[in-house]
Amino acid sequence: MKNFRYLVLGALAATALPFVGIVVGAQAQFNSLGRAPAEEGGPLMPPLEPGQAIQGRQVYLSLGCVSCHTQQVRPAGQGGDIAGALGARPSVARDYVLQPVVLLGDRRIGPDLANYGVRAKADADVHLAILHKVGGRDQFGFLYSGANHEIPSERAVMLAAYLRSLRQDYSSPEAPLK
Amino acid sequence: MTQEQRSGRPDEDRSRLSRIDAPLRAPFLLLFGSAALWLMLSSALSLLTTLKALPAGIGSYEWFAHGRLEAAARNAFVYGWAGNALFAINLWLLAQLGRFEIRNGWMASVGGLFWNLALTWCTGSVIVSGPGAYALLDFPVGAGPVLAASFALAGLWPVVAYAKRPTGHNFAAQWFVVGASVTFLLAFLLAQAAVFWAPASGVVQAVAHSWYVRTVHLLWLGGSALGLGYYFVSKVLARPLHAYYLASVAFWTYFLFAGWTAPASLIGSPVPLWIQSIGVVGSMMLLVPVLLIGLNLLGALSRDGGWFRAWNSTSLRFISIGIVSLLASLAIAAWASDRSVNAGLRFTSFAEGQNLLLLYAGVTFCVFGAAYAALPRVSGGRWPSAAAIHVHFWASTLGAAGAAFAAFAHPSAHGFISAVSAALLLIGHLAFASTAFAALLSGVPAGESQPAHD
Amino acid sequence: MNDRNRHYDRNRPRQGSPGPEGFSDGRLVEVHSQIARDKQEPAQGFSMTPILVVFLFCALGFWAGLYLTRNSRGFSASAFDLNAPVAFASAGPVVFEPDAAKGQTLYLANCAACHQPTGAGVPGAFPPLVKSLWVAGDEKRIIKIIIAGMAGEVEIDGVKYNGNMPNVGVALKDAQIAHIATYVRSAWGNAAEPVMDASVAAVRKEIGARGQYSPKEVLDAHPLGN
Ligand code: HEC
Ligand code: HEC
Repeated sequence: MKNFRYLVLGALAATALPFVGIVVGAQAQFNSLGRAPAEEGGPLMPPLEPGQAIQGRQVYLSLGCVSCHTQQVRPAGQGGDIAGALGARPSVARDYVLQPVVLLGDRRIGPDLANYGVRAKADADVHLAILHKVGGRDQFGFLYSGANHEIPSERAVMLAAYLRSLRQDYSSPEAPLK
Repeated sequence: MTQEQRSGRPDEDRSRLSRIDAPLRAPFLLLFGSAALWLMLSSALSLLTTLKALPAGIGSYEWFAHGRLEAAARNAFVYGWAGNALFAINLWLLAQLGRFEIRNGWMASVGGLFWNLALTWCTGSVIVSGPGAYALLDFPVGAGPVLAASFALAGLWPVVAYAKRPTGHNFAAQWFVVGASVTFLLAFLLAQAAVFWAPASGVVQAVAHSWYVRTVHLLWLGGSALGLGYYFVSKVLARPLHAYYLASVAFWTYFLFAGWTAPASLIGSPVPLWIQSIGVVGSMMLLVPVLLIGLNLLGALSRDGGWFRAWNSTSLRFISIGIVSLLASLAIAAWASDRSVNAGLRFTSFAEGQNLLLLYAGVTFCVFGAAYAALPRVSGGRWPSAAAIHVHFWASTLGAAGAAFAAFAHPSAHGFISAVSAALLLIGHLAFASTAFAALLSGVPAGESQPAHD
Repeated sequence: MNDRNRHYDRNRPRQGSPGPEGFSDGRLVEVHSQIARDKQEPAQGFSMTPILVVFLFCALGFWAGLYLTRNSRGFSASAFDLNAPVAFASAGPVVFEPDAAKGQTLYLANCAACHQPTGAGVPGAFPPLVKSLWVAGDEKRIIKIIIAGMAGEVEIDGVKYNGNMPNVGVALKDAQIAHIATYVRSAWGNAAEPVMDASVAAVRKEIGARGQYSPKEVLDAHPLGN
């Protein structure tokens, strides 16, 4: 019986220890993390998200876009993200403080979207990107109507607003723009 | 090993064995039967995700969005297949080792029933209304408590069997399985808390998620598979494990270090450097138990024609492949946690290859091997067809090898090879599931329990 | 029948003698319990293995300590890039975080005597801060009033005041004033942006040492409603 107690308590402790170390530890560090101005006296960053973008995140989430797209730019020494123009600076924790869920992602079948809002030009281009034409078929055609999927539904409009709101092109205390 | 030892030595009290096996039949049938169904569902869904563009008919439906199929396949595989199968196999294993005669086995059945109902709800909700932000945690919020409660009913039996064992005997397989079982419930509750009930701030959620995934993969699934390895290697070879006195060190170092490897999956991400570095250190430290487990198991397999005999045993053939893959995946993970190596591998299909090696070629192969031993004994039936076992083995092995090749060496996720491999896996699982059902159902009807003969 | 079940490997796909499984479970557990009790490989004599394991363990542990100290920038919460200049990373978060909770404590100590803990003020004597147009909008207005005080006739929310607010803020630090202003601007249904210490410093520099404002002076510089 003594054996039994050691085993169960030991296994539970071994499980919980890393949680306390890294999760609780990180939470203690980031508990009070908030927005900060880019330069002294400047506006607080990251900017508040427009309402449509907040709803658009829900669409992004529910369509599983995170399975193919990341939203994080690694530092210059750690992979080619900066060299590949995915962002002007590495992502830092503060960039995500306003997000109720963090869609960092782990797989790049499509390009990183952390700075898609900086790249995006015309609305039509954003909708074209959302459609994901593969082999002549629109993978997300159900978000649109019209013969050529040219009329965006309400969800497509919100999704586009969300994509346009994705930008980490401001200076941050932890990662100043050069 | 002498012939004498291997042939019909009247080994133990058979009536007692059937007293152990017989009452396991009902829960085992339910749990393993649903496991097999989930396995087929998950392989069918995975096959769909490997297709470059879905066939015209279904490609235009929201339900078949790539992210939804992928998440549903993942949940079906981990919770549906591996979860259910391990409930059944772990219970069976510890009952054998501890001479445990289960009473109130209906509780396991009820737990299994609710586990499967909740999972059906979760999978349906992933398909119909979309996955969540975090893989393996994409449930409707209400499903969390149901899953936890049903796990407590169905998944903690190994702990009971160990606590109630009449002899004080102790074997490494028991530690791994008991440890794995208690680990999951705690990890599940903590992760639910950190992501849903009291959401951590920003990227801390991602840290919590990485910890949960790693704990499920390495401790719950991997730990159980290692337990099966310790059992079957020694049992089938009929020899003690190599350097067995190190097994307790292997067990404790494995459990102590596994969770700390989690942030290695966040190298380069916007989490503080110290968290990432802990992941690197954890991954390297895990090499200690990998080495010791290798010494115990592969050491035993490498003596006196052990590999040859493993190949000739249906169970051990699967399990030895499983153990080698599992240990290899951990060694590769240590290598890939090096920052400069990681820089080139992160965000590619490399992680998919890792998971395949760990969860499929590793854990699932161990479960297959154990099933070939356990099913006929519990059900009182027999495997109906050697050919089906053959098809299963080769389709699964080639499918896994092809998928691993596609993930490790071939950059495109939707390559031809992945689709063919996924199809092979589906074929193998159909063969497995159909023979498993035949074996489960061909047995003595549950009512007429086996007479204690001899 | 049981016998049949126990020979499951007869179904093995390959040839080979269909012997029963190897160890019985009882024997398996017994053999290993025995080894564990004896703590050494039976019949092998002295073994190098444990020594090598201990050695490996120590070496890895040493490396782990070294690696962590070198690669975690003192466990700082603001270090994300291993290649960033060390000076920057180890300086830690020098950034000011406006904190309404600290602001509340400071408010209760410095302002509540007149404006009341509820911010409702005392009609005719001390004007309310709840939903006050003076509080919202341009942050310079409230900063100036806190630093220099205000005296003179003014009508707020339809009530006439001719009071005298002392220059409470001269004794307070920039950060403290920023916390208070942040609190006042976010409590009791007010909803204005937080105030940074840098803005307070700027205003302090701009107005220099001076006497109390009159309401007219404040309103001329910062009309209500923005
Ligand atoms: C099967 C994987 C996959 C899924 C799922 C997916 N994408 Fe993509 N996405 C891609 C690929 C591949 C590209 C690159 C296409 C190209 O360059 O032609 C891309 C490109 C994009 C782009 C353009 C990026 C740029 O820099 O130009 C945007 C925006 C985008 N996707 C948004 C989304 C959204 C929103 C969703 C969810 C509705 C989504 N993606 C789901 C694979 C995917
Ligand atoms: C000694 C009492 C007293 C104290 C202490 C005091 N105030 Fe005042 N405050 C007043 C009076 C009186 C007025 C109206 C002045 C007038 O009639 O010109 C006033 C006016 C104001 C106004 C503008 C009118 C309004 O209602 O919005 C603000 C803002 C204000 N005070 C904020 C503060 C803050 C913040 C503090 C603490 C740092 C503070 N006060 C401390 C008495 C005080």
